[in-house]
Amino acid sequence: MVLNELGQSIAKALEGIKTANTIDDKVLDACLKDICTALLQADINVKLVMKLRTNVKTRANNADKGAGLDKRKIIEKAVVDELIAMVDSGGDVKTVELKKGQSNVIMFVGLQGCGKTTTASKYGAFHKKKGFKPALVCADTFRAGAFDQLKQNASKTQIPFYGSYTETDPAIIAAQGVEKFKKEKRDLIIVDTSGRHKQEEALFEEMRQVAESVQPTLVIFTMDGSIGQAAFDQAKAFRDSVEVGAVIVTKMDGHAKGGGALSAVAATQAPIAFIGTGEHMDEFERFEAKAFVGRLLGRGDWKGFVNK
Amino acid sequence: GGGLLSSFVGKLGMSMGGTAGLTRQEIQPALVQLKRKLMERNVAEEIAEKLCESVAANLVGQKLGSFRLISTAVKEALEAALTRILTPKRSIDVLREVHAARARGKPYTMVFVGVNGVGKSTNLAKIAYWLLQNKVKVMIAACDTFRAGAVEQLKTHCARLNVPLYERGYEKDPAKVAFEAIRAAERAKCDVLLVDTAGRMQDNEPLMRALSGLISLNEPDLVLFVGEALVGNDAVDQLTKFGQRLADLATGPNPHTIDGILLTKFDTIDDKVGAALSMVYTSGAPIMFVGCGQTYPDLTRLNVKAVVRSLLK
Ligand SMILES: Nc1nc2c(ncn2[C@@H]2O[C@H](COP(=O)(O)OP(=O)(O)OP(=O)(O)O)[C@@H](O)[C@H]2O)c(=O)[nH]1
Ligand SMILES: Nc1nc2c(ncn2[C@@H]2O[C@H](COP(=O)(O)OP(=O)(O)OP(=O)(O)O)[C@@H](O)[C@H]2O)c(=O)[nH]1
Ligand SMILES: [Mg+2]
Ligand SMILES: [Mg+2]
Repeated sequence: MVLNELGQSIAKALEGIKTANTIDDKVLDACLKDICTALLQADINVKLVMKLRTNVKTRANNADKGAGLDKRKIIEKAVVDELIAMVDSGGDVKTVELKKGQSNVIMFVGLQGCGKTTTASKYGAFHKKKGFKPALVCADTFRAGAFDQLKQNASKTQIPFYGSYTETDPAIIAAQGVEKFKKEKRDLIIVDTSGRHKQEEALFEEMRQVAESVQPTLVIFTMDGSIGQAAFDQAKAFRDSVEVGAVIVTKMDGHAKGGGALSAVAATQAPIAFIGTGEHMDEFERFEAKAFVGRLLGRGDWKGFVNK
Repeated sequence: GGGLLSSFVGKLGMSMGGTAGLTRQEIQPALVQLKRKLMERNVAEEIAEKLCESVAANLVGQKLGSFRLISTAVKEALEAALTRILTPKRSIDVLREVHAARARGKPYTMVFVGVNGVGKSTNLAKIAYWLLQNKVKVMIAACDTFRAGAVEQLKTHCARLNVPLYERGYEKDPAKVAFEAIRAAERAKCDVLLVDTAGRMQDNEPLMRALSGLISLNEPDLVLFVGEALVGNDAVDQLTKFGQRLADLATGPNPHTIDGILLTKFDTIDDKVGAALSMVYTSGAPIMFVGCGQTYPDLTRLNVKAVVRSLLK
């Protein structure tokens, strides 16, 4: 993960205002320019970056009016707050935590190739270790080899699976699979769906039908960590079509800094619950927005810092 | 110029067409706007910056016709630069090369490489479909021996397209599978062998080394980098590192690097077409094919004019 690199650039830009004698407009502009460049290189949505710049400036200028306030601290805090606001949907990750002893039906949705099938299995394996009884349902009837892929992942992680080589209606398979596993008292039923994009309305209609037929307790929007400026619009379209409750960002083991996916949080208003960090079934981590920004800035002590 | 008129005209963003020519200061606001637009259209920051700098370098000191808008001049200069970059300097006529290879009695071998999930296998199948339409005899080699379902994915495509598949299942050395597949294609008198490889992150050393190994062992005729139009700034790093890996190995007079780019998922990005620019700018390789959907006929050529229009609109 190269998140550190982004964190370093931002931390360095913030250092700049610490060492400057006086913080005038010029110093502030230079600092903000560096921060914005780092964010843009990380694929954060251009409009969100512009908003961050404006908000921080406004707060810095307001600080001018108040006497005795430390402008540097105010600027630093404004930047950190804005970054947290960017990745923090306001939604609490705890609300998307699974509950034992009740039937959880989780539906994975997302763009083509973003990592749904792989992540669905990882998610099952992760919760199996926590004592859940997961099961996987393949409701992707479109992609060549989709059922075999899910099957092989399910065997690797020793999770029961359901699917069909002949049925072409994903809503039917999904309903059958969920019903079967509910009868078998599996408490975590994971439904994998085909990749789709907002430009093709028929695919979104299909997604709504699958959701209708399985009545998921949680819809997880999966997103590729390397996605660029298309992230926001796509994420918003998914959110407008189904009730996205959580986001998982995949492929964070690559060089990309995941900013496109991070800005999609603003569009879905759903928290990032996990990140994927590799192709193997155990390469999967929990995600926490505030700790993330702390790590981004290379600070272990961000909590104290933010509360100052 | 000078005085009142000059400052008035300056405020309108017009050139006086004066003696000194354009200054950096005069064009700066237009450049800032254009850079932002390029980034909104998903051009990597670094590439947008470089482009704007080169446009600035060309324009500073130039004399504009009287009362021409500076923003128009900057936009035109950028448009010219974009068109120049996206227009292929070398073009590869695959069908012609395939016919030449046929005359030599050798199967023409194409290897599809790229990061995870970008659409290598699907677009390989689309290429097979296109070749079949052009009366070319095709074989496919399943050299992704890692990802779950990768072999069955190709089996399905091959059955639908009625094309032979060379596969040795999972966990085999992909370089060796490719090596054997070339022999099999030769024996079966196939004109083209399409080699699918596993997706890999450009920073993953062992996997990148394995890919270089496959290519140096098998000396394919064409290495196609498959990249998705959805990718952001990472496009630059992907192309740089995949290209570097191949160049590291290159020996002989015609070093093999990325020969061409297949840009996928072009149907998912509306006007955010910037990845096309980032990829070509970084690698210098032409975009040979564009994937624009999930079915076999969804493969086209790059429309340079349309891309430039989307970038500047
Ligand atoms: N390096 C890396 N690769 C990943 C990660 N998650 C998924 N992948 C890879 O990404 C590729 C696509 O993953 P899939 O799970 O098939 O994606 P999908 O969203 O199900 O694809 P469709 O069903 O075709 O839309 C595969 O090669 C996976 O191995 C990750 O966290 N890191
Ligand atoms: N919308 C759209 N989807 C595409 C396009 N090309 C491929 N896809 C989809 O992208 C997903 C991934 O495609 P694959 O061909 O499996 O990708 P890959 O690069 O071989 O993946 P790995 O082998 O796992 O690295 C599938 O759902 C494809 O249908 C395209 O041009 N447009
Ligand atoms: Mg899938
Ligand atoms: Mg593949």
